Order: sequence, then structure tokens, then C-alpha cells
Amino acid sequence: MFSLIDNESKILWSRWEYFARTQPNKDAVVHWSATGRNYRWSYGQLLKSAIKYSERLKQLGVKKGDVCALIIRHNPQFYPLYLGIVGIGALPAVLAYPNPRLHHEKFQQGLIGMSERSGLNWIFTERELERIIKPLIVYRGKVNSGLFFPLEWEFKENIREETVTELEDIRNSISENEPTLLQHSSGTTGLQKPIVLSHRAILDHVNNYGKAIQLSENDIVASWLPLYHDMGLIAAFHLPLASGITTIQIDPFEWVLAPSILLDVISREKATLTWLPNFAYNLMADKIKEEELQNISLESLRMVVNSSEKVRAESHERFYEKFSNYGLQENSLATMYAMAETTLAVTQSEDGKRATEIMVDRNELAQGFVEITENEKKSTVCVSSGKPIEDCQIKIVNDRREEITEDRIGEIAVKSVSMFQGYRNYPEKTAEVLDDEGWFYTGDLGFIYDNELYVIGRIKDIIIVAGNNIYPEDVEDAVSKVENIIPGRVVAFGEEDEVLGTEQVSIVAETKLDNEIELRKLSMDIVKVGMSVDVNIQKVYLVPPRWLIKSSSGKPSRKTNKQRIMDNIDRNVWSNR
Amino acid sequence: MISERLKKVICDELNLSVDLVELDDNTEANEVPGWDSLNHANIIVAIEKNYGVRFKGLEILKCKNIGDLQKLVDSKTTETL
Repeated sequence: MFSLIDNESKILWSRWEYFARTQPNKDAVVHWSATGRNYRWSYGQLLKSAIKYSERLKQLGVKKGDVCALIIRHNPQFYPLYLGIVGIGALPAVLAYPNPRLHHEKFQQGLIGMSERSGLNWIFTERELERIIKPLIVYRGKVNSGLFFPLEWEFKENIREETVTELEDIRNSISENEPTLLQHSSGTTGLQKPIVLSHRAILDHVNNYGKAIQLSENDIVASWLPLYHDMGLIAAFHLPLASGITTIQIDPFEWVLAPSILLDVISREKATLTWLPNFAYNLMADKIKEEELQNISLESLRMVVNSSEKVRAESHERFYEKFSNYGLQENSLATMYAMAETTLAVTQSEDGKRATEIMVDRNELAQGFVEITENEKKSTVCVSSGKPIEDCQIKIVNDRREEITEDRIGEIAVKSVSMFQGYRNYPEKTAEVLDDEGWFYTGDLGFIYDNELYVIGRIKDIIIVAGNNIYPEDVEDAVSKVENIIPGRVVAFGEEDEVLGTEQVSIVAETKLDNEIELRKLSMDIVKVGMSVDVNIQKVYLVPPRWLIKSSSGKPSRKTNKQRIMDNIDRNVWSNR
Repeated sequence: MISERLKKVICDELNLSVDLVELDDNTEANEVPGWDSLNHANIIVAIEKNYGVRFKGLEILKCKNIGDLQKLVDSKTTETL
């Protein structure tokens, strides 16, 4: 049974300090590098180094409540810096390091959008980004906006006694309900919604989620998830550090090129827990070769938690089939339904049991009804995301936000003790999704069966590619500007890729061109412009003028036009695939 | 120097016209239209099939550009001769 030894800590720093005091030599973070050197941070060393960062940050003028953006690649110094920011009451905000293909202006635009909403007071990054970010930094009177390169900092061995006392005074002034970190939803053009979480929200969540997964001091987390993603940051970073266990952090870029790294880490370090988006199950099952699995043992794994995009039964099956020969236990196939707004988890499948699968009638499901069937020919398999964790409630509602019965599909609404306080500086967006009684309307579609939650899709048009949210309007705006595309006559949508176990981005766009060679070139121009906003457009459908059907708002309808493409009956559609 | 054969395998996998794409030794994956982390694994598998070779994850990780990939292919095909 999960129970924390220390329940006295009201803020994150006290919890970390407790473990640094009681188990100074235990590994806190193992920084993994397949091509470089691994670095092991013990709890004692990590806190000692974090204090040095706190001191430096204080010298720079970083104050309690300031937002500190971190745009740093996989680096062992990231962790003490992050803790050092929290240690002076400032808010770390981890942002994705820009992919080289992302156009500089687009990256700048995203940062400006985030600055406007989140008030990024400080930016800590790598020298390579200086020329791109520097033009954005403005020094106005007493408002300190600064750009710094912490990986170049050098520290003295010891810090002054007075500084230690000053830092303690700052920490003593932080209360549990004050914000401790800021997360951003995905998106590239300033559509990101900033989410602020308090110390209490995170510590409560660690406690409640820890119970749900029966976390123990013997657990070890292995993760390649990026820390700008809520699942990476909360499940694979905050949860272990606030529970006194070890987390092994793998470079996401290395993992995606060589997915066997995760299995190697699990095997060598005897990791017990890992969280993965659904596409990772397919990628690992399909692309890892048997010869890469020599000497791999996955026996230590007690939970592989599938979350952050739709859970597909087939992905679990392929993963289990491939790795059961290497010690993977069937009951380790777990699921979670999670979102940044509730800190992370809402529901979790039962510990020690494979996530429940049920067969429902496909046609009824399409009509919004849940009918259990044993007829395989007309059924689809839905995978449960489990039951609500402690201090968390769920309900399914109709479009008037009235609760509906178990046999109906509706929007998933959530109430949690770890709920966010609202989107930062975005009251109108908060009001849309959070009601007076504290229910958060997720925009996800699902149903409850036998007290377990099944997530089947979305009301929102967001496309989820490999666990990352992509806003179709970002892609449509970019494609609209491509020469020979009729401006505004573009629709982006997500198309299921069964092989990869995720969605991929598709585009339907109107053009006057009709020559095969010209259409091929246009298609490539569209894929290129997608790259400039860091979105990979997998399929391009080109159609003649006035092909796209408008919705009542006057804009081309995503839903209707996607359906026309999927029906595949119109001969006037040119496709690159 | 990137061989026409390697270029064709990559372009076919990404549904690109060979004559519209320029690849040289220094071209990096993120400069090739459609070559992202998800497609990466498929491209590698396509190359393996076409040349009848097998790559290890770490070998691929060390390739910084298409020139490195060409060298890796060449080293494997020489080994098999």
C-alpha cells in the first residue's frame, strides 16, 4: 500500500529536502545518453546543486512568482536548474527546444504569444538560440526580462552562510496554495493555454496517483518523454522526485531514432514503471529488431501506462506479443486518462491487471450509443482508461452539460482536488471550460461502463499526433499562404494511421491547377510549409475550386469535408498517397 | 555523394518526385519534406529492404546527415559482398 513517509511537506522543496536528508545517496535522476555519458544525480547532490542555482538566480534578480522559461535540450544541468527555480518561489515553464525545421519567425511568434499570456519574465536557454530570442527581449524600466545561458555558468564549491539563510527565508514565505510551475498546451501560434499549478495540487496529486498505481519506494521510473509534455513532467519527473524514488531520463530525440534504448534502460536499471503514448507501442513492436533484444529482460516492469492519445487495443496486443518473450507481463499493460488541467491523472486502470477491453457495436457507437456485443464482425474493441483516482470524479454530459446515462456517449467532465486555478491571464477561455461547481469540461468524448471510463474521441477539432496536440487552424493558416492554393480554402484534419497507432495530419485544399506535375510540386510545397510550423503533413488532397463545403460559420467545414475524403467517392480529388 | 538508388528509396517512401528533391551529403533529415521522427523508422526499413542490410539503432543514431547514412549503407553492402 502506498504511503509517503513524509506528509508534513507543504511545498515541493521541503519534500525534496526531506529525501536529500533521509536518503542523500539514493539516485534521484539518472540522466541517460546513448551517445554520450550517463550522469547520476543523488538526492543529496541534486539539492546541493539546486541551491547553487537558486543563489545565482537570486543574484540575477529572479523573484518569487516570476515565470522562468526553460528552453534547453537533454542536459544533466537541467534538473538542478529546474529545482533551483522552484527553490526561490519562481515558476519554471519548460518549453520545447525548436526543431531546426521550425521557421525562426514562427518560433518567435510562439514565444511572443506565450509571453503575452504567461508573462515569461526570464528565458534560460542555450547560446545557439541567442540570435533568435534576443530581438524579443525588452528591458522596460524596473521590469526585468532577461535572457541567460545557464549551461555556461560556473559555480564555486561553497555558498555563503548568509545566502543559505536568505534562501531559507524565501522558501519559508511560500505557501502551499501558491503557484509552483506553469505548463503550456501545444500549438505554435500563441494558441497555447498557460496552466499554473500550485504546490498543493502537485503534492495531492502525487499522493492520490501514487495510491492508484501502488507506488512504493522500490519503484524506478524510466522515461523518454519530453519534460514540456504534462505526462513527462508530472508522471516521470515530479511524481518520482516527490516520492523519493529514481527516475531515468532518456533523450526523446535519441529514443525516437533508436526506440530500443528504453528497453535497454529498463533492463539494465530494473525499472518498474514507464508511461507511453499509444504510437510508441506500435513503433517499438514494429521497429525494434530481435537482434537488438539480446540480453533484454522486461521482468522488472510492473506497469506500462498508455496515455495522452487514444488507447488502441491492437497496439497493446502487438506490444505484448512482441515483448512477452522478453519478460513483459500481460498485467503490466495499464492505462491512464490525464490532462494538464487536473495536474495529470483523472483515471487509472487497476494495478496488477491488464486494462479492461470490451466489445461494443460499431454502428451503435457511431450513433452515440453503447451496446455491448459478442459479434466480432460488427464490433469495435474499446480499452478502458480505468477508474477515477482518489479525490477525483467524472461524469458524462450531453451538449447542455446535463449528466447522461451509462449507455450514451457524451463529453467527459472532471472534478479533481488537483484542478488548475484557470488559464493564466485567459479568463474567457477558463469560463468556457470550468463551471461554478468546479467541473472541467474536457472536450473529449467517452462513456462509463461498469464504473470504468472509455475515451473514444473528441468534440474539439484538435489533432493528436504521437501524443502532441496540433491545432488545425495553425496548419490551415500556413497552407493558405502557399502559392496556387486558394486562400482560406483549406481544411486540416486528423486521419487514423493504423500502422503507426496514432493520427496523422491531412490537408484538403482547393487549387486551380490540374496538371499532374504541377500538383506534385504543389503537394511538396504544402508539406514544406507544414515543416516550417513544425507539423508533418502526411497526406495532401488537392481539389478544384468550390469543392469544399462550408459550415454555418462560412468557413470550410472540417468534419463534413473530412467525411467526403474518407468516403473516397469523388474522382475530382488528387492525392499524394 | 548520394547515390540515385538511395535517393529513390527515400523519395518513394515519402511520395516525393525524385526530380523535385535535392539531396547531398550535408542534407539533414529535417530538411527533406515529410521526413519526421514518425516517418524516420519507415524510411530506415525501406532502405534495409532495398539493400538487404540491417542497421542497429545506435548506428542510425550516429548519422547526422544523408552523407553519413550513405556511408553506413556503403559499409554494410561492402561487408555483404
